Amino acid sequence: MIRFVDTTKVYSNGVVGIKNLTLRIEKGEFVFVIGASGSGKSTFLKLIMHEETPSEGEVYVNGYSVHNMPKSEVPYLRRSLGVVFQDFRLLPNKTAYDNVAFAMQIVEALPREIRRQVPLALGLVGLSKKARAYPEQMSGGEQQRIVLARALVNNPAVLIADEPTGNLDPKTSLEIMELLDEINQRGTTVIVATHEKSIVDAMKKRVITLDRGELVSDVQKGLYTDEN
Amino acid sequence: MKIRTLRLLAKEGTANVYKNKLMSFASLITIMTTLFVLGLVLLVIVNVISNLEAKKQDLQVKFYLRVDASRMEQEEVAMFIENGRASGVVSEYQYESREQAYENAKKDLKHESLMEGLTPDNFAEGYFVSLTDPNDSDQFIAKLKLLSGIDSQWITYPKDELDKITGVVRVFNYAAIFVLAVLMIISVLLISNTIRLTVFARRKEIEIMKYVGANDWFIRFPFIIEGMIIGLLGALLSHLLTSQTYGWIKDGLNNLFSSIKISDLQLIEFDQFAIRILVVYIIFGTTIGIIGSLMSVKKHLNV
Ligand SMILES: Nc1ncnc2c1ncn2[C@@H]1O[C@H](COP(=O)(O)OP(=O)(O)OP(=O)(O)O)[C@@H](O)[C@H]1O
Ligand SMILES: [Mg+2]
Repeated sequence: MIRFVDTTKVYSNGVVGIKNLTLRIEKGEFVFVIGASGSGKSTFLKLIMHEETPSEGEVYVNGYSVHNMPKSEVPYLRRSLGVVFQDFRLLPNKTAYDNVAFAMQIVEALPREIRRQVPLALGLVGLSKKARAYPEQMSGGEQQRIVLARALVNNPAVLIADEPTGNLDPKTSLEIMELLDEINQRGTTVIVATHEKSIVDAMKKRVITLDRGELVSDVQKGLYTDEN
Repeated sequence: MKIRTLRLLAKEGTANVYKNKLMSFASLITIMTTLFVLGLVLLVIVNVISNLEAKKQDLQVKFYLRVDASRMEQEEVAMFIENGRASGVVSEYQYESREQAYENAKKDLKHESLMEGLTPDNFAEGYFVSLTDPNDSDQFIAKLKLLSGIDSQWITYPKDELDKITGVVRVFNYAAIFVLAVLMIISVLLISNTIRLTVFARRKEIEIMKYVGANDWFIRFPFIIEGMIIGLLGALLSHLLTSQTYGWIKDGLNNLFSSIKISDLQLIEFDQFAIRILVVYIIFGTTIGIIGSLMSVKKHLNV
Protein backbone atom coordinates (compact mmCIF):
# COMPACT_ATOMS: atom_id res chain seq x y z
CA MET A 1 0.00 0.00 0.00
CA ILE A 2 2.61 2.56 1.15
CA ARG A 3 6.27 1.74 1.21
CA PHE A 4 9.32 3.87 1.97
CA VAL A 5 12.63 2.27 1.03
CA ASP A 6 15.68 3.94 2.54
CA THR A 7 14.16 7.31 1.76
CA THR A 8 15.98 10.56 2.48
CA LYS A 9 14.72 14.08 1.91
CA VAL A 10 17.23 16.90 2.07
CA TYR A 11 15.71 20.35 1.41
CA SER A 12 17.48 22.72 -0.95
CA ASN A 13 18.81 24.67 2.03
CA GLY A 14 20.53 21.54 3.33
CA VAL A 15 18.06 20.79 6.13
CA VAL A 16 17.31 17.09 6.47
CA GLY A 17 13.56 16.45 6.58
CA ILE A 18 13.58 12.63 6.46
CA LYS A 19 16.61 10.40 6.87
CA ASN A 20 17.01 6.79 5.69
CA LEU A 21 13.40 5.93 6.36
CA THR A 22 12.23 2.41 5.59
CA LEU A 23 8.70 1.39 6.52
CA ARG A 24 5.50 -0.17 5.28
CA ILE A 25 1.90 0.73 5.90
CA GLU A 26 -0.66 -1.89 4.92
CA LYS A 27 -4.10 -1.43 3.51
CA GLY A 28 -6.68 -0.59 6.14
CA GLU A 29 -4.23 0.49 8.85
CA PHE A 30 -4.66 3.51 11.10
CA VAL A 31 -1.29 5.13 11.79
CA PHE A 32 -0.25 8.06 13.94
CA VAL A 33 2.98 9.87 13.07
CA ILE A 34 4.36 11.72 16.05
CA GLY A 35 7.54 13.54 17.02
CA ALA A 36 8.78 16.93 18.14
CA SER A 37 8.34 20.00 16.00
CA GLY A 38 10.70 19.79 13.06
CA SER A 39 11.06 16.01 13.34
CA GLY A 40 9.81 15.48 9.80
CA LYS A 41 6.14 14.54 10.18
CA SER A 42 4.90 16.94 7.52
CA THR A 43 7.80 16.02 5.27
CA PHE A 44 6.77 12.38 5.54
CA LEU A 45 3.22 13.17 4.44
CA LYS A 46 4.42 15.50 1.68
CA LEU A 47 6.56 12.72 0.28
CA ILE A 48 3.48 10.50 0.13
CA MET A 49 1.46 13.06 -1.83
CA HIS A 50 4.34 14.16 -4.07
CA GLU A 51 4.42 17.69 -2.73
CA GLU A 52 8.06 16.96 -2.09
CA THR A 53 10.18 14.37 -3.88
CA PRO A 54 12.81 12.27 -2.09
CA SER A 55 16.48 13.11 -2.57
CA GLU A 56 17.30 9.44 -2.23
CA GLY A 57 15.42 6.19 -1.91
CA GLU A 58 12.00 5.13 -3.05
CA VAL A 59 8.40 5.88 -2.18
CA TYR A 60 5.52 3.70 -3.34
CA VAL A 61 1.90 4.75 -2.81
CA ASN A 62 -1.18 2.91 -4.09
CA GLY A 63 0.87 1.31 -6.83
CA TYR A 64 2.54 4.55 -7.96
CA SER A 65 6.30 4.98 -7.84
CA VAL A 66 6.14 8.42 -6.34
CA HIS A 67 9.92 8.97 -6.35
CA ASN A 68 10.17 9.03 -10.13
CA MET A 69 6.71 10.03 -11.15
CA PRO A 70 6.12 12.15 -14.27
CA LYS A 71 4.43 15.44 -13.43
CA SER A 72 1.38 14.54 -15.50
CA GLU A 73 0.64 11.55 -13.25
CA VAL A 74 0.62 13.51 -10.00
CA PRO A 75 -3.09 14.42 -10.26
CA TYR A 76 -3.95 10.70 -10.47
CA LEU A 77 -1.89 9.93 -7.37
CA ARG A 78 -3.63 12.77 -5.54
CA ARG A 79 -7.04 11.48 -6.53
CA SER A 80 -6.23 8.18 -4.88
CA LEU A 81 -5.50 10.09 -1.68
CA GLY A 82 -7.68 12.10 0.63
CA VAL A 83 -5.71 15.00 2.05
CA VAL A 84 -6.54 16.97 5.21
CA PHE A 85 -4.48 19.86 6.57
CA GLN A 86 -4.34 21.83 9.75
CA ASP A 87 -5.32 25.11 8.09
CA PHE A 88 -8.66 24.05 6.66
CA ARG A 89 -8.06 24.22 2.95
CA LEU A 90 -11.43 24.87 1.44
CA LEU A 91 -12.02 26.95 -1.68
CA PRO A 92 -13.19 30.27 -0.24
CA ASN A 93 -15.73 31.17 -2.90
CA LYS A 94 -17.53 27.86 -3.00
CA THR A 95 -20.19 26.56 -0.64
CA ALA A 96 -19.57 23.50 1.51
CA TYR A 97 -21.54 21.45 -1.00
CA ASP A 98 -19.55 22.80 -3.98
CA ASN A 99 -16.25 22.24 -2.20
CA VAL A 100 -17.08 18.58 -1.75
CA ALA A 101 -18.54 18.33 -5.25
CA PHE A 102 -15.32 19.83 -6.63
CA ALA A 103 -13.36 16.70 -5.72
CA MET A 104 -15.81 14.69 -7.79
CA GLN A 105 -15.89 17.13 -10.69
CA ILE A 106 -12.14 16.72 -10.99
CA VAL A 107 -12.54 13.02 -11.64
CA GLU A 108 -15.35 13.86 -14.06
CA ALA A 109 -17.95 11.98 -12.11
CA LEU A 110 -21.47 11.95 -13.51
CA PRO A 111 -23.68 14.76 -12.15
CA ARG A 112 -26.07 12.08 -10.96
CA GLU A 113 -23.23 10.47 -8.96
CA ILE A 114 -22.25 13.84 -7.54
CA ARG A 115 -25.79 14.58 -6.44
CA ARG A 116 -25.89 11.25 -4.65
CA GLN A 117 -22.43 11.12 -3.09
CA VAL A 118 -21.99 14.68 -1.85
CA PRO A 119 -24.99 14.62 0.52
CA LEU A 120 -23.84 11.22 1.78
CA ALA A 121 -20.39 12.60 2.54
CA LEU A 122 -21.83 15.69 4.20
CA GLY A 123 -24.11 13.41 6.21
CA LEU A 124 -21.20 11.25 7.29
CA VAL A 125 -19.41 14.26 8.78
CA GLY A 126 -22.69 15.45 10.27
CA LEU A 127 -22.98 18.71 8.34
CA SER A 128 -25.90 18.17 5.98
CA LYS A 129 -27.36 21.43 7.27
CA LYS A 130 -24.31 23.46 6.28
CA ALA A 131 -24.37 22.44 2.63
CA ARG A 132 -25.04 25.98 1.45
CA ALA A 133 -22.68 27.75 3.82
CA TYR A 134 -19.44 29.34 2.62
CA PRO A 135 -16.21 28.52 4.48
CA GLU A 136 -16.10 31.90 6.19
CA GLN A 137 -19.56 31.23 7.60
CA MET A 138 -18.43 28.06 9.37
CA SER A 139 -16.44 27.36 12.52
CA GLY A 140 -12.98 25.80 12.35
CA GLY A 141 -14.32 22.40 13.35
CA GLU A 142 -17.06 22.57 10.75
CA GLN A 143 -14.63 23.58 8.04
CA GLN A 144 -12.36 20.71 8.95
CA ARG A 145 -15.26 18.30 8.74
CA ILE A 146 -16.08 19.63 5.26
CA VAL A 147 -12.46 19.02 4.32
CA LEU A 148 -12.90 15.48 5.59
CA ALA A 149 -16.07 15.07 3.56
CA ARG A 150 -14.18 16.22 0.49
CA ALA A 151 -11.29 13.91 1.27
CA LEU A 152 -13.50 10.85 1.48
CA VAL A 153 -16.15 11.54 -1.13
CA ASN A 154 -14.20 9.73 -3.84
CA ASN A 155 -13.53 6.78 -1.52
CA PRO A 156 -9.76 7.21 -1.54
CA ALA A 157 -7.57 4.25 -0.68
CA VAL A 158 -5.52 6.40 1.68
CA LEU A 159 -6.37 9.43 3.76
CA ILE A 160 -3.50 11.53 5.06
CA ALA A 161 -4.05 14.22 7.66
CA ASP A 162 -1.45 16.72 8.88
CA GLU A 163 -2.43 17.90 12.35
CA PRO A 164 -6.10 17.86 11.43
CA THR A 165 -7.05 19.00 14.91
CA GLY A 166 -4.26 21.53 15.40
CA ASN A 167 -6.59 24.50 15.41
CA LEU A 168 -9.52 22.91 17.23
CA ASP A 169 -10.65 22.66 20.83
CA PRO A 170 -10.28 19.26 22.57
CA LYS A 171 -13.90 18.23 22.21
CA THR A 172 -14.03 19.01 18.50
CA SER A 173 -10.65 17.35 18.05
CA LEU A 174 -11.99 14.17 19.49
CA GLU A 175 -15.00 14.29 17.18
CA ILE A 176 -12.73 14.65 14.17
CA MET A 177 -10.63 11.74 15.34
CA GLU A 178 -13.72 9.61 15.78
CA LEU A 179 -14.69 10.49 12.24
CA LEU A 180 -11.26 9.44 11.01
CA ASP A 181 -11.66 6.19 12.90
CA GLU A 182 -15.04 5.65 11.27
CA ILE A 183 -13.56 6.28 7.83
CA ASN A 184 -10.83 3.79 8.71
CA GLN A 185 -13.44 1.20 9.73
CA ARG A 186 -14.86 1.47 6.22
CA GLY A 187 -11.57 0.27 4.81
CA THR A 188 -9.59 3.44 4.13
CA THR A 189 -5.99 3.56 5.27
CA VAL A 190 -5.60 6.59 7.56
CA ILE A 191 -2.32 8.33 8.40
CA VAL A 192 -2.41 11.18 10.92
CA ALA A 193 0.48 13.42 11.92
CA THR A 194 -0.23 14.94 15.30
CA HIS A 195 1.09 16.48 18.50
CA GLU A 196 -1.87 15.58 20.61
CA LYS A 197 -0.88 13.13 23.26
CA SER A 198 -4.33 12.55 24.69
CA ILE A 199 -5.76 11.55 21.38
CA VAL A 200 -2.94 9.19 20.48
CA ASP A 201 -3.11 7.59 23.88
CA ALA A 202 -6.87 7.21 23.73
CA MET A 203 -6.99 5.55 20.35
CA LYS A 204 -4.37 2.83 20.75
CA LYS A 205 -3.33 2.69 17.11
CA ARG A 206 -0.02 2.06 15.41
CA VAL A 207 2.35 4.91 16.34
CA ILE A 208 5.36 5.87 14.26
CA THR A 209 7.77 8.22 16.00
CA LEU A 210 10.23 10.42 14.14
CA ASP A 211 13.17 12.31 15.53
CA ARG A 212 15.19 14.66 13.35
CA GLY A 213 13.91 12.81 10.32
CA GLU A 214 14.74 9.36 11.58
CA LEU A 215 12.40 6.56 12.56
CA VAL A 216 12.97 5.97 16.27
CA SER A 217 10.05 3.72 17.08
CA ASP A 218 7.15 1.96 15.41
CA VAL A 219 4.69 0.37 17.82
CA GLN A 220 1.37 -1.39 17.22
CA LYS A 221 -1.35 -0.20 19.65
CA GLY A 222 1.10 2.35 20.95
CA LEU A 223 0.96 5.34 23.26
CA TYR A 224 2.34 8.82 22.65
CA THR A 225 4.85 8.26 25.41
CA ASP A 226 6.00 4.80 24.32
CA GLU A 227 9.31 5.89 22.91
CA ASN A 228 10.34 8.03 25.88
CA MET B 1 -11.86 16.31 -20.95
CA LYS B 2 -15.55 15.71 -21.24
CA ILE B 3 -17.91 18.31 -22.68
CA ARG B 4 -19.84 18.59 -19.44
CA THR B 5 -16.59 19.29 -17.59
CA LEU B 6 -15.70 22.03 -20.08
CA ARG B 7 -19.14 23.52 -19.64
CA LEU B 8 -18.77 23.38 -15.90
CA LEU B 9 -15.38 25.08 -16.05
CA ALA B 10 -16.65 27.72 -18.47
CA LYS B 11 -19.39 28.53 -16.01
CA GLU B 12 -16.78 28.69 -13.30
CA GLY B 13 -14.69 31.14 -15.31
CA THR B 14 -17.71 33.31 -16.04
CA ALA B 15 -18.65 33.39 -12.38
CA ASN B 16 -15.08 34.33 -11.49
CA VAL B 17 -15.38 37.49 -13.57
CA TYR B 18 -18.01 38.70 -11.08
CA LYS B 19 -16.38 37.24 -8.04
CA ASN B 20 -13.04 38.91 -8.68
CA LYS B 21 -14.56 42.27 -9.52
CA LEU B 22 -11.48 44.27 -8.75
CA MET B 23 -9.17 42.26 -10.93
CA SER B 24 -11.72 42.05 -13.70
CA PHE B 25 -12.09 45.81 -13.62
CA ALA B 26 -8.36 46.47 -13.59
CA SER B 27 -7.77 44.08 -16.48
CA LEU B 28 -10.71 45.49 -18.37
CA ILE B 29 -9.29 49.01 -18.09
CA THR B 30 -5.88 47.79 -19.20
CA ILE B 31 -7.22 46.02 -22.25
CA MET B 32 -9.55 48.89 -23.10
CA THR B 33 -6.78 51.44 -22.93
CA THR B 34 -4.32 49.49 -25.03
CA LEU B 35 -6.93 48.68 -27.64
CA PHE B 36 -7.97 52.32 -27.68
CA VAL B 37 -4.41 53.50 -28.26
CA LEU B 38 -3.97 50.77 -30.86
CA GLY B 39 -7.15 51.83 -32.62
CA LEU B 40 -6.25 55.52 -32.75
CA VAL B 41 -2.77 54.80 -34.07
CA LEU B 42 -4.21 52.48 -36.69
CA LEU B 43 -6.79 55.08 -37.70
CA VAL B 44 -4.07 57.69 -38.17
CA ILE B 45 -2.17 55.25 -40.34
CA VAL B 46 -5.28 54.30 -42.29
CA ASN B 47 -6.00 57.99 -42.86
CA VAL B 48 -2.53 58.66 -44.16
CA ILE B 49 -2.71 55.64 -46.43
CA SER B 50 -6.16 56.48 -47.72
CA ASN B 51 -5.12 60.05 -48.52
CA LEU B 52 -2.05 58.79 -50.31
CA GLU B 53 -4.15 56.31 -52.23
CA ALA B 54 -6.48 59.13 -53.19
CA LYS B 55 -3.46 61.05 -54.42
CA LYS B 56 -2.58 58.08 -56.56
CA GLN B 57 -6.00 58.30 -58.16
CA ASP B 58 -5.22 61.85 -59.23
CA LEU B 59 -2.26 60.66 -61.23
CA GLN B 60 -3.39 60.41 -64.84
CA VAL B 61 -2.07 58.77 -67.95
CA LYS B 62 -2.07 61.53 -70.56
CA PHE B 63 -1.62 60.89 -74.25
CA TYR B 64 -2.27 62.57 -77.61
CA LEU B 65 -3.19 61.15 -80.96
CA ARG B 66 -1.05 61.86 -83.97
CA VAL B 67 -2.22 65.01 -85.71
CA ASP B 68 -2.61 63.04 -88.92
CA ALA B 69 -4.42 60.13 -87.31
CA SER B 70 -7.12 58.68 -89.54
CA ARG B 71 -10.75 58.45 -88.58
CA MET B 72 -10.33 54.68 -88.15
CA GLU B 73 -7.40 55.19 -85.82
CA GLN B 74 -9.33 57.75 -83.78
CA GLU B 75 -12.18 55.35 -83.39
CA GLU B 76 -9.86 52.53 -82.45
CA VAL B 77 -8.44 54.63 -79.57
CA ALA B 78 -11.90 55.75 -78.44
CA MET B 79 -13.01 52.13 -78.48
CA PHE B 80 -9.96 51.01 -76.52
CA ILE B 81 -10.60 53.55 -73.74
CA GLU B 82 -14.31 52.78 -73.61
CA ASN B 83 -13.57 49.07 -73.34
CA GLY B 84 -11.13 49.86 -70.56
CA ARG B 85 -13.87 51.63 -68.71
CA ALA B 86 -16.32 48.81 -69.28
CA SER B 87 -13.85 46.28 -67.91
CA GLY B 88 -13.05 48.49 -64.92
CA VAL B 89 -9.38 49.14 -65.69
CA VAL B 90 -10.17 52.80 -66.39
CA SER B 91 -12.04 54.56 -63.63
CA GLU B 92 -12.70 57.76 -65.56
CA TYR B 93 -11.24 59.83 -68.36
CA GLN B 94 -11.45 63.20 -70.01
CA TYR B 95 -11.37 63.63 -73.75
CA GLU B 96 -10.06 66.76 -75.38
CA SER B 97 -11.10 67.27 -78.96
CA ARG B 98 -9.07 69.20 -81.52
CA GLU B 99 -11.40 72.20 -81.10
CA GLN B 100 -11.05 72.14 -77.31
CA ALA B 101 -7.29 71.84 -77.64
CA TYR B 102 -7.31 74.81 -79.97
CA GLU B 103 -9.46 76.87 -77.60
CA ASN B 104 -7.35 75.91 -74.60
CA ALA B 105 -4.19 76.86 -76.42
CA LYS B 106 -5.68 80.19 -77.37
CA LYS B 107 -6.57 80.84 -73.73
CA ASP B 108 -3.15 79.85 -72.45
CA LEU B 109 -1.07 81.79 -74.94
CA LYS B 110 -0.61 85.43 -74.12
CA HIS B 111 0.36 86.45 -77.62
CA GLU B 112 -2.42 85.86 -80.07
CA SER B 113 0.08 86.25 -82.87
CA LEU B 114 1.52 82.87 -82.06
CA MET B 115 -1.81 81.30 -82.91
CA GLU B 116 -1.98 82.94 -86.28
CA GLY B 117 -2.46 80.59 -89.15
CA LEU B 118 -3.33 77.70 -86.85
CA THR B 119 -6.64 75.88 -87.04
CA PRO B 120 -8.03 73.08 -84.84
CA ASP B 121 -6.69 70.71 -87.47
CA ASN B 122 -3.19 71.50 -86.33
CA PHE B 123 -4.00 70.18 -82.87
CA ALA B 124 -4.15 66.64 -81.63
CA GLU B 125 -6.92 64.92 -79.74
CA GLY B 126 -5.97 64.09 -76.16
CA TYR B 127 -7.07 61.72 -73.43
CA PHE B 128 -6.50 62.10 -69.71
CA VAL B 129 -7.14 58.71 -68.13
CA SER B 130 -7.47 57.79 -64.45
CA LEU B 131 -6.80 54.15 -63.77
CA THR B 132 -8.73 52.21 -61.16
CA ASP B 133 -5.51 50.63 -59.97
CA PRO B 134 -2.54 52.90 -60.58
CA ASN B 135 -0.30 49.83 -60.48
CA ASP B 136 -1.78 48.84 -63.86
CA SER B 137 -0.17 51.89 -65.49
CA ASP B 138 2.81 50.09 -67.06
CA GLN B 139 0.64 47.46 -68.66
CA PHE B 140 -1.87 50.05 -69.78
CA ILE B 141 0.77 52.23 -71.39
CA ALA B 142 2.28 49.23 -73.16
CA LYS B 143 -1.10 48.55 -74.75
CA LEU B 144 -1.51 52.20 -75.76
CA LYS B 145 1.77 52.02 -77.61
CA LEU B 146 0.37 49.27 -79.80
CA LEU B 147 -2.30 51.62 -81.13
CA SER B 148 -1.07 53.22 -84.32
CA GLY B 149 -3.19 56.36 -83.82
CA ILE B 150 -1.29 57.38 -80.72
CA ASP B 151 1.91 59.32 -80.78
CA SER B 152 3.91 57.23 -78.34
CA GLN B 153 6.22 60.14 -77.55
CA TRP B 154 3.30 61.92 -76.02
CA ILE B 155 2.20 59.28 -73.54
CA THR B 156 3.03 60.61 -70.09
CA TYR B 157 2.55 59.27 -66.64
CA PRO B 158 4.01 60.66 -63.36
CA LYS B 159 5.71 57.37 -62.55
CA ASP B 160 8.17 58.87 -60.07
CA GLU B 161 5.40 60.30 -58.01
CA LEU B 162 3.55 57.00 -58.03
CA ASP B 163 6.65 55.14 -56.88
CA LYS B 164 7.21 57.65 -54.12
CA ILE B 165 3.66 57.33 -52.88
CA THR B 166 3.75 53.56 -53.14
CA GLY B 167 6.92 53.55 -51.07
CA VAL B 168 5.44 55.75 -48.38
CA VAL B 169 2.29 53.63 -48.26
CA ARG B 170 4.44 50.54 -47.81
CA VAL B 171 6.29 52.18 -44.92
CA PHE B 172 3.02 53.04 -43.24
CA ASN B 173 1.76 49.49 -43.72
CA TYR B 174 4.85 48.18 -41.97
CA ALA B 175 4.39 50.81 -39.29
CA ALA B 176 0.88 49.51 -38.70
CA ILE B 177 2.14 45.94 -38.24
CA PHE B 178 4.92 47.17 -35.98
CA VAL B 179 2.53 49.17 -33.82
CA LEU B 180 0.23 46.16 -33.58
CA ALA B 181 3.05 43.91 -32.46
CA VAL B 182 4.49 46.35 -29.93
CA LEU B 183 1.13 47.16 -28.39
CA MET B 184 0.30 43.47 -28.26
CA ILE B 185 3.44 42.76 -26.25
CA ILE B 186 2.95 45.75 -23.98
CA SER B 187 -0.63 44.85 -23.25
CA VAL B 188 0.14 41.21 -22.57
CA LEU B 189 2.76 42.32 -20.06
CA LEU B 190 0.40 44.82 -18.49
CA ILE B 191 -2.45 42.40 -18.27
CA SER B 192 -0.42 39.50 -16.93
CA ASN B 193 0.91 41.85 -14.30
CA THR B 194 -2.56 42.94 -13.35
CA ILE B 195 -3.78 39.39 -13.20
CA ARG B 196 -0.68 38.25 -11.38
CA LEU B 197 -1.49 40.52 -8.47
CA THR B 198 -4.74 38.74 -7.86
CA VAL B 199 -3.70 35.31 -8.99
CA PHE B 200 -1.27 35.65 -6.15
CA ALA B 201 -4.27 36.05 -3.91
CA ARG B 202 -5.72 33.03 -5.66
CA ARG B 203 -2.54 31.05 -5.31
CA LYS B 204 -4.00 29.28 -2.33
CA GLU B 205 -7.03 28.35 -4.35
CA ILE B 206 -4.88 26.86 -7.10
CA GLU B 207 -2.87 24.98 -4.51
CA ILE B 208 -5.98 23.43 -3.01
CA MET B 209 -7.17 22.37 -6.43
CA LYS B 210 -3.85 20.67 -7.03
CA TYR B 211 -3.94 18.90 -3.69
CA VAL B 212 -7.34 17.52 -4.46
CA GLY B 213 -5.92 16.19 -7.73
CA ALA B 214 -7.00 18.67 -10.39
CA ASN B 215 -4.80 18.54 -13.47
CA ASP B 216 -3.36 21.68 -15.02
CA TRP B 217 -6.02 22.12 -17.67
CA PHE B 218 -8.76 21.80 -15.11
CA ILE B 219 -7.21 24.75 -13.28
CA ARG B 220 -6.28 26.75 -16.36
CA PHE B 221 -9.50 26.53 -18.27
CA PRO B 222 -11.62 28.79 -16.03
CA PHE B 223 -8.83 31.35 -16.11
CA ILE B 224 -8.80 31.21 -19.89
CA ILE B 225 -12.53 31.79 -20.03
CA GLU B 226 -12.16 34.61 -17.56
CA GLY B 227 -9.46 36.27 -19.66
CA MET B 228 -11.50 35.77 -22.80
CA ILE B 229 -14.62 37.37 -21.36
CA ILE B 230 -12.69 40.35 -20.04
CA GLY B 231 -10.89 40.68 -23.37
CA LEU B 232 -14.16 40.60 -25.26
CA LEU B 233 -15.78 43.16 -22.96
CA GLY B 234 -12.70 45.36 -23.27
CA ALA B 235 -12.90 45.10 -27.06
CA LEU B 236 -16.55 46.12 -27.20
CA LEU B 237 -16.20 49.03 -24.79
CA SER B 238 -13.02 50.20 -26.46
CA HIS B 239 -14.73 50.10 -29.84
CA LEU B 240 -17.43 52.39 -28.53
CA LEU B 241 -14.86 54.71 -27.02
CA THR B 242 -12.79 54.75 -30.21
CA SER B 243 -15.72 55.56 -32.46
CA GLN B 244 -16.77 58.44 -30.20
CA THR B 245 -13.28 59.83 -29.88
CA TYR B 246 -12.54 59.48 -33.56
CA GLY B 247 -15.78 61.32 -34.34
CA TRP B 248 -14.68 64.28 -32.18
CA ILE B 249 -11.19 64.35 -33.60
CA LYS B 250 -12.51 64.17 -37.15
CA ASP B 251 -14.96 67.04 -36.63
CA GLY B 252 -12.26 69.10 -34.96
CA LEU B 253 -9.77 68.51 -37.75
CA ASN B 254 -12.32 69.12 -40.48
CA ASN B 255 -13.13 72.48 -38.90
CA LEU B 256 -9.46 73.25 -38.68
CA PHE B 257 -8.83 72.23 -42.29
CA SER B 258 -11.65 74.37 -43.58
CA SER B 259 -10.52 77.36 -41.54
CA ILE B 260 -7.00 77.14 -42.94
CA LYS B 261 -8.27 76.23 -46.39
CA ILE B 262 -6.88 72.77 -46.76
CA SER B 263 -9.30 71.00 -49.01
CA ASP B 264 -7.54 67.98 -50.44
CA LEU B 265 -7.20 66.11 -47.13
CA GLN B 266 -10.07 63.71 -46.73
CA LEU B 267 -10.57 62.05 -43.32
CA ILE B 268 -12.10 58.62 -43.58
CA GLU B 269 -15.42 57.83 -41.95
CA PHE B 270 -15.22 55.55 -38.89
CA ASP B 271 -18.14 53.52 -40.20
CA GLN B 272 -16.08 52.47 -43.18
CA PHE B 273 -13.71 50.68 -40.84
CA ALA B 274 -16.00 49.96 -37.89
CA ILE B 275 -16.33 46.23 -38.58
CA ARG B 276 -12.66 45.71 -39.34
CA ILE B 277 -11.62 47.57 -36.21
CA LEU B 278 -14.09 45.57 -34.17
CA VAL B 279 -12.64 42.34 -35.53
CA VAL B 280 -9.10 43.49 -34.74
CA TYR B 281 -10.19 44.54 -31.25
CA ILE B 282 -11.95 41.26 -30.52
CA ILE B 283 -9.05 39.18 -31.76
CA PHE B 284 -6.54 41.27 -29.83
CA GLY B 285 -8.66 41.67 -26.73
CA THR B 286 -9.39 37.98 -26.29
CA THR B 287 -5.84 36.96 -27.20
CA ILE B 288 -4.39 39.41 -24.71
CA GLY B 289 -6.83 38.24 -22.07
CA ILE B 290 -6.08 34.57 -22.65
CA ILE B 291 -2.31 34.94 -22.87
CA GLY B 292 -2.33 37.15 -19.80
CA SER B 293 -4.31 34.58 -17.85
CA LEU B 294 -2.12 31.71 -18.97
CA MET B 295 1.07 33.58 -18.12
CA SER B 296 -0.10 34.41 -14.65
CA VAL B 297 -1.46 30.96 -13.84
CA LYS B 298 1.64 29.24 -15.16
CA LYS B 299 3.79 30.42 -12.28
CA HIS B 300 1.54 28.86 -9.71
CA LEU B 301 0.92 25.54 -11.37
CA ASN B 302 4.16 23.99 -10.22
CA VAL B 303 2.97 22.96 -6.77
N1 LIG C 1 10.30 23.76 2.35
C1 LIG C 1 11.28 23.61 3.24
N2 LIG C 1 12.50 24.10 2.97
C2 LIG C 1 13.49 23.92 3.84
N3 LIG C 1 13.40 23.27 4.98
C3 LIG C 1 12.20 22.76 5.32
C4 LIG C 1 11.09 22.91 4.46
N4 LIG C 1 10.03 22.29 5.03
C5 LIG C 1 10.48 21.81 6.20
N5 LIG C 1 11.78 22.07 6.36
C6 LIG C 1 12.61 21.65 7.50
O1 LIG C 1 12.60 20.26 7.56
C7 LIG C 1 12.52 19.81 8.90
C8 LIG C 1 11.29 18.94 9.07
O2 LIG C 1 10.14 19.75 8.87
P1 LIG C 1 8.65 19.20 8.99
O3 LIG C 1 7.76 20.27 8.53
O4 LIG C 1 8.56 17.91 8.28
O5 LIG C 1 8.51 19.00 10.54
P2 LIG C 1 7.23 18.61 11.39
O6 LIG C 1 7.55 17.39 12.12
O7 LIG C 1 6.03 18.60 10.51
O8 LIG C 1 7.15 19.85 12.37
P3 LIG C 1 5.85 20.50 13.04
O9 LIG C 1 5.42 19.61 14.13
O10 LIG C 1 6.35 21.80 13.56
O11 LIG C 1 4.84 20.67 11.95
C9 LIG C 1 12.47 21.07 9.74
O12 LIG C 1 13.78 21.32 10.24
C10 LIG C 1 12.05 22.15 8.81
O13 LIG C 1 12.63 23.38 9.16
MG1 LIG D 1 4.28 19.75 10.36
